[in-house]
Amino acid sequence: MTVTGTQLDDVTLVARARDGDAHSYEQLVTRYEGPIYRLALRMLANAADAEDVTQEAFLAAWRQLGQLQEDAAFVGWLYRSATNRCLNVIRSRKPLADSTPEEHAASGPDGKPEQQAETSAQLAALSTAMGRLTPEKRACWLLREVHGRSYDEIATTLGVSATTVRGRIARARAELAEVMSPWR
Amino acid sequence: MALSPGTDTYRLPCGRNVERLWEDLDAPDEHGTSCPHCQASRASLQLLRQATGELVADEAEPPAGLTARIMAAVRADIRRRDLLELPTTEPGAARISAQAAATILRFAADTVEGVRARHCRVDLDATGAVVELNIAVDSRTFTHPALEQVRQRVETAASRRIGWPTVTLHLTMTDVFEA
Repeated sequence: MTVTGTQLDDVTLVARARDGDAHSYEQLVTRYEGPIYRLALRMLANAADAEDVTQEAFLAAWRQLGQLQEDAAFVGWLYRSATNRCLNVIRSRKPLADSTPEEHAASGPDGKPEQQAETSAQLAALSTAMGRLTPEKRACWLLREVHGRSYDEIATTLGVSATTVRGRIARARAELAEVMSPWR
Repeated sequence: MALSPGTDTYRLPCGRNVERLWEDLDAPDEHGTSCPHCQASRASLQLLRQATGELVADEAEPPAGLTARIMAAVRADIRRRDLLELPTTEPGAARISAQAAATILRFAADTVEGVRARHCRVDLDATGAVVELNIAVDSRTFTHPALEQVRQRVETAASRRIGWPTVTLHLTMTDVFEA
């Protein structure tokens, strides 16, 4: 990242935030709330839940800044916290029986009908297909293919081996492609 | 596409696995171009790749005010963490925010002529209050006894105004100024 003017690099901002500088932390929030919110939205298909997860992940990260070994590890850590929070939300939904992500998504990805109309048919098909993946597979696929996180980081996030992550992504890809068949 | 799930990799009826197809998506070999299973699967994977690209580019913005809500929670957390215990004989707790205590102590140091308090950090340990105070002094009027005066006034303010009987004060002269 280029450091120009008042735009400070992540490591500097994290180091300052760790000293209790809320203003620096606010810059980190502004920088990463978008990607974290989108990950949560795609995991949960519910805007209110995604917002809660984003808020909790940033507050928890703030509280635990002192335990962060390396300032450069902040973003990966944020993704990890958000992913696990999403998985917990999904697990807590389970007792509601047939509550599927698709039903949560009934009002569109962010509840705005006008945006839903702009969404391409392919993207809509992909969102539906994502909802059919197991939450763990969906997390692996999203983190790698959409958010560009590394296999090792995803493995740490989910407490599995990098090989397992690769396997889950391959299976997710095959399952998604199957649903996306042009003649279906 | 016809898949046989349940195994580690997804295989097409022709024996190819989907991962291989994905890797060679833009450069299929001879079998890949002629096999109907591979052709169908490749078309699906290409669609998936395209839709994934759209998902990557999709920048659904968080709701307005999310930053403000996160920062309000962070600042409330700072205030909670910042509270220091005050001695009391009553059953309920009495606390002071570290910032409020620092303001009182800075003010006490400022009453010494030619002294301006700067950084002030207040904490508690087993011995009592621990105060780190940095001051700037007037280069023309400063004399050594002023430091002792600062120490006395800060300690007096800590005990009489805040209520901490024991104070360890680390005083550092970090700068000079000309009034």
